[in-house]
Amino acid sequence: MPQATSRSDATRAVVFSPLEGAGRAELVEQRLTDAIVAGVLRDGERLPSESELAKRLGVAVVTAREALVALRDKGLVLTRRGRDGGSFVTHDRDASMRMIDARVRALSRIELRDLSLHYAAIAGMAAEVAADRASDDDLASLVELDARADLASAGGARRAVGRFQLEIAAVSQSPRLVHEELRLQAESGPLLWLCLREQAYRDRSRQARVEVIESIRGVDPARARRATTEHIASATEWLIDEKARLESPEQGQQPAPRAEDRRG
Amino acid sequence: MTAIVVNAADTIAHRIAATIDPLFALIDTWRDTLEAHLAEVAEPNAADLDPVISALVRPALDDSSGLITGAGFVAAPGFLPDAPWHLAWWLSGTNTFRAAADGGVRRLEAESDPDAEQFRDYTTLEWWRTPARTGTRHLTGPYVDYLCTDDYTVTITTPVTVDGEMAGVVGTDAYVARIEQELLPVLRESGHPCTLVNASARIVASTDSRHATGALLRLDGLPAVLAPLHEHQGQAAAGVLPGGRFVVPCGDTTLALVFGTA
Repeated sequence: MPQATSRSDATRAVVFSPLEGAGRAELVEQRLTDAIVAGVLRDGERLPSESELAKRLGVAVVTAREALVALRDKGLVLTRRGRDGGSFVTHDRDASMRMIDARVRALSRIELRDLSLHYAAIAGMAAEVAADRASDDDLASLVELDARADLASAGGARRAVGRFQLEIAAVSQSPRLVHEELRLQAESGPLLWLCLREQAYRDRSRQARVEVIESIRGVDPARARRATTEHIASATEWLIDEKARLESPEQGQQPAPRAEDRRG
Repeated sequence: MTAIVVNAADTIAHRIAATIDPLFALIDTWRDTLEAHLAEVAEPNAADLDPVISALVRPALDDSSGLITGAGFVAAPGFLPDAPWHLAWWLSGTNTFRAAADGGVRRLEAESDPDAEQFRDYTTLEWWRTPARTGTRHLTGPYVDYLCTDDYTVTITTPVTVDGEMAGVVGTDAYVARIEQELLPVLRESGHPCTLVNASARIVASTDSRHATGALLRLDGLPAVLAPLHEHQGQAAAGVLPGGRFVVPCGDTTLALVFGTA
């Protein structure tokens, strides 16, 4: 009967709920997995030591160790002993692809739509405020960011989307929106922008940027928000179609062009 | 009446400049010391330079009552042969960016590998670009600095020159919240509605609660009056807007006071 509880009870319950909840090792593991799969952490890169990792992420050393063990088991990290030892990223494109496919399958449609909605709330609001607050200099740097975008690869297109969205958040002049944008990029970026494997969606992402830039130039906050949320919605539609495809019985008998599209 | 208002505006503008000027003066002494040091060094390198920078900025960062939340030197690409992209930047204990539990002064860990995803080409950023173009100090912001402070920030930078070449910039960060805290009482004291803006007409602080810090102050004629500040064309003159408001530059801070008579 949760509807019956008063608003203040609900707020009080949030105040005294566990700060990070259970499974912090899983959270650390997921974040590092996403970063490796997305190529943010590169093949061969040395990860911070257990204690450094724990310090940076604000978790116990034992939690960081647990997460590293899980990453080792997944084959994403290799640990070498000795003076030049440490944990190193082993980024295998095929393994990454399988892993991200597994994540798409593991999340329900409801979760994917919810994630998309959360991201659209943040990015849409940032775009709306940015359209009102952008100076000519801000506009110039957004135009330059767009001009530098590399649309020839999925990785390049994803970086362009990430950089542009982050800059929009910064132009909104809100530290909280910037924090949330960064957090959501780390958490859901690799999933949400999977559609950029396809050239049509890379071109679509360019159109969205141009539309947002034009909205900002015309000081049209509503249009900037709409262009941003529609872009995120179309990426989500692709993701849900991809999930359906992965779960269809014919999966595994895909025609060759598909594999071509998916090259990073 | 008008003369009294203009006098009041001038007084407030001077007091605002007096709050910011010590930061300018401090950075100028860092630049002078660094230029003198670099003139003596045959082949500068990051390993030798970092302790020098650290010693230079440390006292200001240790002072927790000050406005400064970060300070240091950013090298021109390629100036230091052992570190082509180099940020020698330290964060104060009051800086919340990746602060550890002990919360002391610490070095900013910046990505210096141009191939890394987190790498940022800082020569495209305003705090680098503008001093590089004008050859003189520049106040950037207010802006959300996701590179160094993770918060709403003003950055002041000035070029460091060796043999006529720009070796980098020295500079400092200050939180806008702290600056607002210092300046708002000064603005209120005038008894007139007034708003402090940067050269892009972005609001730094205002006595009018409808004018949010970070928003642009959209007033007829304001961009034209601010243009000399924006283009670093020397001292901007005071101006009167069509609506009857006065615009008074605050010393050479590149900030301006928009002063109403209502």
